[in-house]
Amino acid sequence: MPAAVTDEELVRRSKEDDERAFGELISRYESKVYSLALRMVRNPEDAEDVLQDTFLRAYRGIKSFQGASTFSTWIYRITANSALMRLRKKQLPTISIEDQDERETPVNIADWTPGPVEQLMTQELQQEMDAAIESLPPEFQQVFILRDVEERSNAEVAEILDLSVAAVKSRLHRARLKVRNRLAGYFSDSAKPKRRIMGAH
Amino acid sequence: MLTCKEVLESLSDYLDADMKEDIVNEMKKHIGSCSDCRAEFDTLTMTLKLYKHEAGEVKVMPVGCHDRLVKVLELEKLRSKGAPPPKMV
Repeated sequence: MPAAVTDEELVRRSKEDDERAFGELISRYESKVYSLALRMVRNPEDAEDVLQDTFLRAYRGIKSFQGASTFSTWIYRITANSALMRLRKKQLPTISIEDQDERETPVNIADWTPGPVEQLMTQELQQEMDAAIESLPPEFQQVFILRDVEERSNAEVAEILDLSVAAVKSRLHRARLKVRNRLAGYFSDSAKPKRRIMGAH
Repeated sequence: MLTCKEVLESLSDYLDADMKEDIVNEMKKHIGSCSDCRAEFDTLTMTLKLYKHEAGEVKVMPVGCHDRLVKVLELEKLRSKGAPPPKMV
């Protein structure tokens, strides 16, 4: 199908049971949906389940899709909800983020910022970055991933998650601080000289 | 003059260039003269750079993922048309 056909047209045809049109929507969005799902659930098997669940829901709901938002916003909203449900099922009880990382004046943070990103990036740091996201409550993970990893605007994130822009900004700020604090802890630990193990040669 | 508390609360908006110009200038002035707030700003900036670097990585769908998705949707089509589910072999 020519790329010039808009999503709106494909949605219209899908509503009329044009299976090729729905197939084209899958082709356009499956890798983006999978990518977002994988970033949210951090596991290829769960990401594939989210992908299937997302397009199943889209297939079942396409006739009632009113077009108040774009198809892409709609499909990402379904993805985010599906991933959130999966995360909630797996999530261990967490302390409310409201109680954490609130400080009125800045504390000294070891300076881990010099040097280009490429030099800092190691597999260990990558794991720590994933763990930092995982340590956030699911609702904050969603905002952080959509905004700072997928690089969507505050307005888009608000539309996808059905939140106000103010709520997105508030969650984002808290999530960023918490993630930063975790990485600061990692860099601070890795800067300390390794202790010699007694008895080691 | 902004306090450290006000600067910290506005760091995200400052990083996103989502504030009025006069506040931006006040933020710049404070961060330039307060080493604690500068450390907060620098580390938050680097945190976002690290994740943006990761954002450039393409997450490739596993082999067979597309075919399995198509199969799931074909089963759904059959179900919605009232056909009996295929027999498990």
